[in-house]
Amino acid sequence: MNESTLFMITFIVYIIAAFFYLAFLFSKKESAAKTGLSVVTVGFFVHTLALIWRTIESGHAPFTNMYESLSFLAWSGALAYIIIEYRYRIRKAGPYLMLIIIGIMALASSPLMPKEATPLVPALQSYWLWLHVSVTLLGEAFFAVAFVTSIMYLVADTREKKGTAKQGAISSEKLDSISYRCIAVGFPLFTLGGLVFGMVWAYYAWGSYWSWDPKETWSLITWFVFALYLHTRIVMGWKGRRSALIAIIGFLAALFTYFGVNYLLAGLHSYA
Amino acid sequence: MKSIIDFFSSVKLAIFLIIIIASASIIGTLIPQMRSPQEYAARYGQISELLIRLEITDLYHSWWFIALLFFFSLNILICTLTRLSPKLRRALKPNLKFEDKTLLAAKIKERFIKSGNLETNRAELNKVLRSGHYRIKQMKKDSEIHLLARKRILGIFGSDFVHLGLLVILIGGIISGFSGFRANINISEGEIVPVLGADFQLQLDKFETEYHPNGSVKDWKSTLTVIEDESPRLTKTIEVNHPLTYKGFVFYQSGYGWDWDNSTLDILATKTSDPSSSMRAFLRLGEKETWEEENLEFRILQFVPDFIIDGNQVRTRSLEPNNPAVAIEVYKDEKKISEGWIFAKFPDFSQMHSEEEPEYKFEFKDFQTSQYSGIQMAKDPGAYYIWVGCALLMIGLFLAFYWPTRDIRFILKESEGKTEIVSAGRSAKSKLALEAEFTRILASLRRS
Repeated sequence: MNESTLFMITFIVYIIAAFFYLAFLFSKKESAAKTGLSVVTVGFFVHTLALIWRTIESGHAPFTNMYESLSFLAWSGALAYIIIEYRYRIRKAGPYLMLIIIGIMALASSPLMPKEATPLVPALQSYWLWLHVSVTLLGEAFFAVAFVTSIMYLVADTREKKGTAKQGAISSEKLDSISYRCIAVGFPLFTLGGLVFGMVWAYYAWGSYWSWDPKETWSLITWFVFALYLHTRIVMGWKGRRSALIAIIGFLAALFTYFGVNYLLAGLHSYA
Repeated sequence: MKSIIDFFSSVKLAIFLIIIIASASIIGTLIPQMRSPQEYAARYGQISELLIRLEITDLYHSWWFIALLFFFSLNILICTLTRLSPKLRRALKPNLKFEDKTLLAAKIKERFIKSGNLETNRAELNKVLRSGHYRIKQMKKDSEIHLLARKRILGIFGSDFVHLGLLVILIGGIISGFSGFRANINISEGEIVPVLGADFQLQLDKFETEYHPNGSVKDWKSTLTVIEDESPRLTKTIEVNHPLTYKGFVFYQSGYGWDWDNSTLDILATKTSDPSSSMRAFLRLGEKETWEEENLEFRILQFVPDFIIDGNQVRTRSLEPNNPAVAIEVYKDEKKISEGWIFAKFPDFSQMHSEEEPEYKFEFKDFQTSQYSGIQMAKDPGAYYIWVGCALLMIGLFLAFYWPTRDIRFILKESEGKTEIVSAGRSAKSKLALEAEFTRILASLRRS
């Protein structure tokens, strides 16, 4: 038994959960979704063990390279989903979120991602690594849930307008409100982890709290998009389609900050 | 004046500015910043001059980007101020002169008649509300009592705290830009360097590099002593992520290096025909040594820490001593007999070019080079503002999202020994929770 075995078990459990969700999507049997949720919860616990194992094995936080941080992002996504599901009962979002989580897990397990735990470069040896990365990724996980519910909103809204909405489908209004709730959790987390903790750490490690490094700039852009979401919604009363579109753009910006910047733009954040 | 204020108090302007600033920031991540004009010319050709003239090549410090940030700050300030006074009035001097029909127009409302006179019911209502942690304001007018019960009133100021935090952060940024400074210095063990703009000096007592078992760098540690008025004041060992702070100056461990140009090279010359006859020399770059008995002279031409041949040129691949090599030239009886490279790690693989069978063998035994510590000195008086701003920002976000103000308004009217109660609840951000609480409060009032 080691970390990579636990990781594979988690991966398989998530895939099984996704099958239950797919079964639910086609058969409309509530019980399939319930089983799916239990399976995800089990997978989440195994995943937690895998992360703890990794931490003990490597002696540092489990998000210092792409493989580790993808695994942690998938874990955060599962956590965010479990919280939202137990709170708001949006079974329909399950299958789509599971697909995203499985996609992240697949990416993490691809041979392109070096898996060996390498010793940390001096700049990463700090407890700010824990605070900065974990809180940011947790915030982004909630953005991911908002992304899914926003897409579901667009579909539900179109159907309702055309009159083709199915019986028992979640109302577009509820989806709109769940998206907002997710952003209400994700935005403060992202601000705290990504921007505030990021600035504090940069000040201690690089001697400058802000350097317009591409990753910093892109997290500011992401922050601006969600600020836009909140202002248009709360002050100008935008709701529905336009709000959903901004939430979708916001998540894509977060995704680019997390992933695209590393591969497409060079900068100080050259680790992960 | 009024029209200027109106212009800057608009949320639409804020949205417009956010979009423009975000778009400009994107451009700044796509076009490499602060490179040489030659690089831009090679990359963008004709338009490179335009990019430089528009300061897109140093976008985040360009006059127009700073102007955008300035307008954005003004926008935030005026937006916040114009919305602040009604909120303050609501918090400090709430209007108790509401009417039945306003209450009944609300979404969360109830109306019922209860036994008991006005005062009994008022006392009951006060008790119920207090146990629900509500703060109460009430007023009696004729036979009516108007009562306002509120909780978490600070929540309505969430966005103001966020905006204030942002302004403080922007002010901090301006202060950093104008009075912050940053400099990198390389300092060797034992060396004392002056600190720019400060009345003290810095001495490096000790510098060491720690390695992981696989050979990669684990950490650099510099023991620094602050010297003021010719006496040591403070000694601290700094490492990456753990700087030294003294009188507003911060000293960061930023790297290390080798002082290659001042290396002492240990060269051994041996006679090929008689290995017991040899001579050892410790030389610096450019220095020469004479072996009197043999009338032999050799000189160090070049030294590289990490030898590589690039095309037909020798250069160093890195600044690490991975493959140290020395180029020497040898004279016998004042006549050049050979020239070439010798390697510290490959003693048998020398590249000496000589016309005849070599009479002498040269070995590069060792080298002594001191490591220097790379220290970044910074003074950034703006940083304090940043931390205060961040704290305000986070307090504001917490208040805005998780401290929802709730208020419930009541009108109590006495008629024929009974009391009519009309009430309505208001909460911008937690309607569902308020609705549940509203129902609970009114239920316990009915029971009383």
